[in-house]
Amino acid sequence: MSREGTGKMLGAQVRRVEDPRVLLGKTQYVDDLVLPDMLAVAFVRSPYAHAKITKIDVQAALTKPGVACVLTGKDILETIKPLRVEFDTQKVPFHKSCNWHVLTPDKVRFVGDLVAAVVATDRYTAEDAAELVEVDYEPFEAVADMESALLADAPLVHEEWGDNVMERLEAQIGEVGKAFQEADCVVSERFVTGRHMASPLETRGCVAQFDVATEALTVWSSTQVPHTLRASLATLLDLAEHRIRVISPDVGGGFGLKAHPFPEEVVVTYLARALRKPVKWIEDRREHLSASLQAKHQIVTAEMALKSDGSVLGLKARFLSDAGGYSSYPWSSAFEPKHAAGTITGPYKIPAFSFETCTVATNKASIGVYRGVGIPIAALTMERLLDMGAQKLDLDPAEIRLRNMIRKEEHPYTTLMGAEIESGSHQASLQQALDILGYDDFRAEQQKARQNGRYLGVGIGSYVEGTAHNSAVFDSFGVKIGGYESATLRIDESGKVTVFVGTHSHGQGHHTVYAQLIADTLGVALEDVAVVQGDTQATPRGWGTWASRSAVTGGGAVTSAAQKLRDKLLRIAARLTEVPADDLELVQGAVQRKTGAVRLLSIPELAHRIIAQPTSLPPDEEPGLDVTVAYEPPPITHSNATHVAALEVDIETGQVQLLRYIVVEDCGTIINPIIVNGQIQGGVAQGIGSALYEQAVYDDAGQFLTGTLMDYLIPTAADVPQVEIGHIETPSPYTLHGIKGMGEGGAIAPPAAIANAVADALSPFGVRVNEVPLTPERVLSMLDRAQTNPGTE
Amino acid sequence: MKPAPFKYARPDSVDEALALLQAGGDEAKVLAGGQSFVPLLNLRMASVESIVDLNRLDDLAYIKRDNDTLRIGAMTRHRQIEVSDEIRAAQPLLCRAAAEVGHLAIRNRGTIGGSLVHADPAAEWPLVAAVLDAQCVLRSQDNSRTIAAREFFLAPLMTAIEPNEILCEVRFPVAPVGAVWGFQELCRRPGDFAIVAIACQLTLDDGGTCSTASLAVGGAHSTPLHVAEVEPIISGSQGEAAVMTAAAEKAAAAVDPSGDVHGSADYRRRMVKVLTQRALKEAWAQKRKRALQ
Repeated sequence: MSREGTGKMLGAQVRRVEDPRVLLGKTQYVDDLVLPDMLAVAFVRSPYAHAKITKIDVQAALTKPGVACVLTGKDILETIKPLRVEFDTQKVPFHKSCNWHVLTPDKVRFVGDLVAAVVATDRYTAEDAAELVEVDYEPFEAVADMESALLADAPLVHEEWGDNVMERLEAQIGEVGKAFQEADCVVSERFVTGRHMASPLETRGCVAQFDVATEALTVWSSTQVPHTLRASLATLLDLAEHRIRVISPDVGGGFGLKAHPFPEEVVVTYLARALRKPVKWIEDRREHLSASLQAKHQIVTAEMALKSDGSVLGLKARFLSDAGGYSSYPWSSAFEPKHAAGTITGPYKIPAFSFETCTVATNKASIGVYRGVGIPIAALTMERLLDMGAQKLDLDPAEIRLRNMIRKEEHPYTTLMGAEIESGSHQASLQQALDILGYDDFRAEQQKARQNGRYLGVGIGSYVEGTAHNSAVFDSFGVKIGGYESATLRIDESGKVTVFVGTHSHGQGHHTVYAQLIADTLGVALEDVAVVQGDTQATPRGWGTWASRSAVTGGGAVTSAAQKLRDKLLRIAARLTEVPADDLELVQGAVQRKTGAVRLLSIPELAHRIIAQPTSLPPDEEPGLDVTVAYEPPPITHSNATHVAALEVDIETGQVQLLRYIVVEDCGTIINPIIVNGQIQGGVAQGIGSALYEQAVYDDAGQFLTGTLMDYLIPTAADVPQVEIGHIETPSPYTLHGIKGMGEGGAIAPPAAIANAVADALSPFGVRVNEVPLTPERVLSMLDRAQTNPGTE
Repeated sequence: MKPAPFKYARPDSVDEALALLQAGGDEAKVLAGGQSFVPLLNLRMASVESIVDLNRLDDLAYIKRDNDTLRIGAMTRHRQIEVSDEIRAAQPLLCRAAAEVGHLAIRNRGTIGGSLVHADPAAEWPLVAAVLDAQCVLRSQDNSRTIAAREFFLAPLMTAIEPNEILCEVRFPVAPVGAVWGFQELCRRPGDFAIVAIACQLTLDDGGTCSTASLAVGGAHSTPLHVAEVEPIISGSQGEAAVMTAAAEKAAAAVDPSGDVHGSADYRRRMVKVLTQRALKEAWAQKRKRALQ
């Protein structure tokens, strides 16, 4: 397991300690929890996209045997506050907030909106009774499209706003006008991304229990953010936070979706307290698809100015984003286009950029954060424009990128948007990815295939992934959340280590990587480290796991805590052994004298003295081996990567067949290559979903058409090639060990790389590829359009 | 996503099952492999008063050959057909179609009879039954009748079966001497229902001239559609490009597709044309391949 004989766990191919539990089915998810007298909830949800509730009759449901309670929006109007995203108005004066009632009292705003909660002895009875709740609606015209939402006569989703604009922001950085005047070549396009979903294997769900003796609540929820959920529950239910314990047990995937507190969690917690009985709600797949959160649906119109040598002079873009009916907490449903605008320059040196972001409310499920947030469409826009520019200027797509990329020696490089990209390997990652493909050979094969009527294509997608934002960055966003992370580390009398963390692993493998970091710092074995997470009563206040933050922030907190206890152990050992502390180290479970590598004292022996025989300690040392650390990372840590897709397009059916998929990733110092590779493979699978398969579809009346996994298509193992992965390690100069976050990257570039490859395959026809997912019919209609209007690209 | 309440019976014999259906009237439904019916119940898109579960009726799970007829019991699982050497020798198109049904787990549980009675116009068995002119053997408590598959399918999810009947057996003709076939299915992902599927069987003489032809379309019409009009175009030909184009145009003109999120009506009609040509090419290619062996 050691790495090149150094004996270090950092960077070692350590097998994930989590896997045996998962593979043997020993994990315990929320739905595995069964409590005595537990009741089940089924929600009554709106069948209309936009309607006024004129009457709710719950009598028939209430009289059904087994039904405990039917709750409507009017019942709780005074007792449960609505979810409401409030920014710091000094920093974000252009945002309009709205109330998201946990059960809507008056008006429904999307198909699936919460109208009533039916509680019964079991879910079957609850669903039977839910069908008996009679709701009268007065349907309104729906706002079913983000462009028509802006029309002057559009119906209003939130009347108090006066229009449907949740947020509009304009900015210009650098001399954009001049850039376009001086350009030798301008390319422009309108890009559309599908409405995607995180769709984890485990849907949402929670169980709440009220302890009548202590008047305390315990809430088990499939969440990425136990502490944030606890704070939200306390605020919305007007309870003291210390009377709520949130436990997030094993969680079967989240991808950002479960980084939001949800109305259903608030209702279930309220019901457990009101009914004095445990209450369970497990989201079914139809609820998940129609009424959790959706993501990534934007229309971007963009223009790029280039010089004849391919260097980019400037960029203009308008990001229009379809937020859905409400706004998800805490980032709001307007975060997607802002993050797209903020990250669009990627690995490229762009001297001038002007943009507008506009987020509108519509009668659809709301937008939340999902793996990559905004960056996939930013990358699609930038990477397609570069390919279009290259084609116009008769440059190779690789060449135009190499010319515009930040060079290694230019780091730290401050982007137009003010982010400092601390280090990176943009050109090298592109070059290595092309080498893995065998770029020149592929081009030759492509030529040959075309002569036989087969259309092969290759596409590049390069990006920079900002991760592990610190508190100051969130403050600048006007979002009231912390970017630091916390850990409590404890060494017990037997010398074993337990770490309590505020992050939450729901597939990532934190147990393994934290144990690796601690093992290196404390000189203990991996199996001597236990990791406790997902329990607000056990762990220090942390912010959970999202935005690829845990390796840097959680890893930083864990390492800092371990360093503190290492220092204490060595300090005390120095006094006990009369060897200077700087000549001591912790190796293989013992205090060792560096000079001569002499083992002096085992860690269990030393720990036992510090904990159980404190009288033997120096008087200025506290007994015990517990430490809590809050670690604040550097502002933003930037990984980079290049993806290369090779594929074939069937020009008769429009079907796209992926042939190869290559990723060369640089996330600084790698803690564990197995885990990094797993993140890449999984991220690419979801990115392929965005590029080729997935879209949540609404019709013109706002009816939801993709309510099952037969309609909303997620790529399966048969549709995702084995990703060919290369690594470059350019450490961050600022983080502990030089680690950078990388969890989202795999999902960022596939739409860009695949769209470019489809355009490349179809280049003999001059096809405009500007929309994902690239469904067979859509590809065929792009071909049709090219043949009707040749020479448009 | 839980079904509404229903009564449930799991009879041990066909006679018992037929009696239960007779007693249940219009409100009793048969459960075979359950791969479509159970999701419909859970989604509450279907609700029934009682279910008669046929999964204990092992005497409805068989594959038999009587001279020129393959007799397949309705409770035979897709996977049993897919891997049957007897069927592969007698009518390999059935093995090919079976392999396209859903995923392995679905094929292990789902049945040919269930799929035929469910009558999804995009499913493989209705298509193959139509192209091969299969016969469906239906039984009720007091009656037994045989109906041609081409008359069995009436509309999406609707067949000529009566509420008191069980589909007990499907009969396929064994492939005649000189038979070749083509099977083309377009779907978004392997295992999905077809956007469009085409199956054809031709008999070719030693010189490659077609004497009889049958072609059917799935996924592009309210039922699997046997397109008789293409047969005179193909018969007597040697699979010339112009013949295939003419046949494909005829097939595309014959269908009346409806659209969904995976493909509009126009796209489906267009794909009927593309896949018809590919299926016919595949059939003639089989002939050439055999000639080389």
